[in-house]
Amino acid sequence: MAVLVQASGLTKKYGDFAAVAGIDFEIREGECFGFLGPNGAGKTTTVRMIHCVSPITAGTLTVGGLASGINNRALKKITGVIPQEINLDIDLTVEENLLIFARFFDIRRREAKARIAELLRFAELEAKAGSKISELSTGMKRRLLIARALINRPRLIVADEPTTGLDPQARHLIWQRLRQLKTQGATLILTTQYMEEAQQLCDRIVVMHQGRILKEGIPGRLVEDEIGREVVEVRTPAEDDARILASLAGLDCAHERVGDTLYFYCREGHGLRQRLLDLDLPNMLNRPATLEDVFLKLTGRSLHE
Amino acid sequence: MSLSYRIAYVFLRNLYSYKRFVVPTFLVSLIEPLFYLVTFGVGMGAYMGAFGGQPYLNFLVPGVLASAAMMAASFECLYGTFVKIVHEKVYDSLVATPVSADEAVAGDIAWGSFRGLISGTLMMVVALFMGVAPASIWRAALLLVFMVFVGVLFGALAMIITSIAPSFDFFSYYTELVVTPMLFFSGVFFPLDNFPGWMKGVAQALPLTHAVAISRALFTGQSVTGLWWRILFLAVLAAAAFTVSIRMMRKRLIK
Repeated sequence: MAVLVQASGLTKKYGDFAAVAGIDFEIREGECFGFLGPNGAGKTTTVRMIHCVSPITAGTLTVGGLASGINNRALKKITGVIPQEINLDIDLTVEENLLIFARFFDIRRREAKARIAELLRFAELEAKAGSKISELSTGMKRRLLIARALINRPRLIVADEPTTGLDPQARHLIWQRLRQLKTQGATLILTTQYMEEAQQLCDRIVVMHQGRILKEGIPGRLVEDEIGREVVEVRTPAEDDARILASLAGLDCAHERVGDTLYFYCREGHGLRQRLLDLDLPNMLNRPATLEDVFLKLTGRSLHE
Repeated sequence: MSLSYRIAYVFLRNLYSYKRFVVPTFLVSLIEPLFYLVTFGVGMGAYMGAFGGQPYLNFLVPGVLASAAMMAASFECLYGTFVKIVHEKVYDSLVATPVSADEAVAGDIAWGSFRGLISGTLMMVVALFMGVAPASIWRAALLLVFMVFVGVLFGALAMIITSIAPSFDFFSYYTELVVTPMLFFSGVFFPLDNFPGWMKGVAQALPLTHAVAISRALFTGQSVTGLWWRILFLAVLAAAAFTVSIRMMRKRLIK
C-alpha cells in the first residue's frame, strides 16, 4: 500500500514545552492508524498538524506528497475531521449544519442536498433533519459530526476521540460506521485512550507518551510481544510476594507489584495457574492479556523480569 | 493574508444563523433610533430652536445614522464574534475546512458591517417618517454605501479588541471607555465649535467625528471642511484596522 501520511522528526513546541517531541511515522493509504496515549500524550496535537490547523515547529510532515500547512487548502479539501469537542453550529439545524459545511467545501447546492440525504441516512439522523442541535442526544451529535466530516467525500478521515462520553450502544454504532468508511477505501486516523476502540478499529497503532512514540505495531501482536497471552492477577498483601515468587521458580513469567495486586504476564498461563492453585490463594483472576496491559506497561508501570 | 471568495461563505453562515434572531434584532434596531430621535430630536430639539437655519432633528439624524452603524458593527464584532470563538466553537470547525482563519475573521467583519447597514437603514426609515430625508435619492444611496464602510471600520476596530479579550467583561473597557465617550465628543448631538481648543484636537483624532461629518455632508448636501482629508483618514484607518485585526485574530485562532 502507498504511504499517505509521512512524518519525520515532527515537533510541536508551545514555548519551551514540547507537546510533540520529534516523532516519525508512516500511515498507509486505506488503513486505520491509531494514536494511543493518555491525556496530554500529544495525540491531538499530532493529528491537528496532519489536518493542517496547527503549524508544525520542526520536522517534516506530508500528506499525499504535499507538505501539510495552515494554508494548504488542497489538503483540507480531501480531509474530513471528526473533532474531539462537539463543535456543531448550535444556531443552525441539523440539515443547515451540513449545508453550510458543504458550502465551505465549494459543493454546489444541488449536489449538497443529495449528499446530505445520503449522510443523514448513514448517520441514522433522517428524522432529525430539521431539529435544533440542542434537541439531539450526545450520540446523535457525535454521529452528526461524522456525517459533517464526510460531506466532502474525504480521502483521509481524522477522528479525534470520536466516542468520548458515549454509552455502549452509541459507541458500537459509531465503530460500525467508521469500519464501514474504511471498507469504502478511506484512510482513517484515530486517536483514542480506549484500548478496546483501538483494538476494534485499528490496523496499526502507535503508543504515545509525553510527546514521544513508545511503540508501534499491530494491536494483537503488540500485546503478545510486550505482555504475552495471559495475565494472572493475585490480590494479596505485599508481604506474601516472597513466598509466592519462591514457589514459582523456573516458570517463564514476568511479574509486577502494583498497589494491592501482584500481576503475572505469561505466554502461556497454564503452569502458573496450577502452582498458584496449589498455594490456595483466595483472590485470583486469570484473563487474556489486552492492549490495556501494554499501555500501562509502556506509559506508567515498570516491569520486573 | 489568505483571503478569497470564501469570505462569502462565512457571511452566509451568519445569515443562516441570523434567521432565528431577525425579529428581536429588528425590534432593537428600531427602538434604538426611535429612542434617540424622539428624546433628543423631538424632546430636546424643542428647546434648541434652529440649528444653522434648520430644525435640530435635521442636525441630529445624519450623526445618529453614522453612530448607529458604528454601534451595531462594534457589538457584532465584539460579542457576536466572541461567542462564535469561545462558546459556540464555530471558528474551530471553520478552520478545518478550506476556509481560512483570515476569511473567517473578514467574513465576520463583513457581517458586522451588514448589521450596521441594517441599523442605519432602519434609522433612515424612521427619520423619513419623522419628516427628515436626505437631500436626494442618490445621496440616500451614497449614505448606504458609506454605512457599509463605517461598519467595516468599526467592526475591524472591535475585532482587534476581541482578539485579545479573555472574557466578556473585557469588552466593557472598550464600550464604556472608548465607544460611549466617542459618541459625545464627535459632534453627533451638538456641533464641536464651542469646545476649547484641546478638546477640538481630541475630537479630530476620533474616527466617529469624521464619520459624522461625512454623513452630514452626504445627507444635507451642505459642504464640510476637509471632506477628502476626512475620507482619506478613515480609509487609511480602516485598512490598518482590518489588517491588524486579521493578524491578531490569527494569533488567537491558530496555535
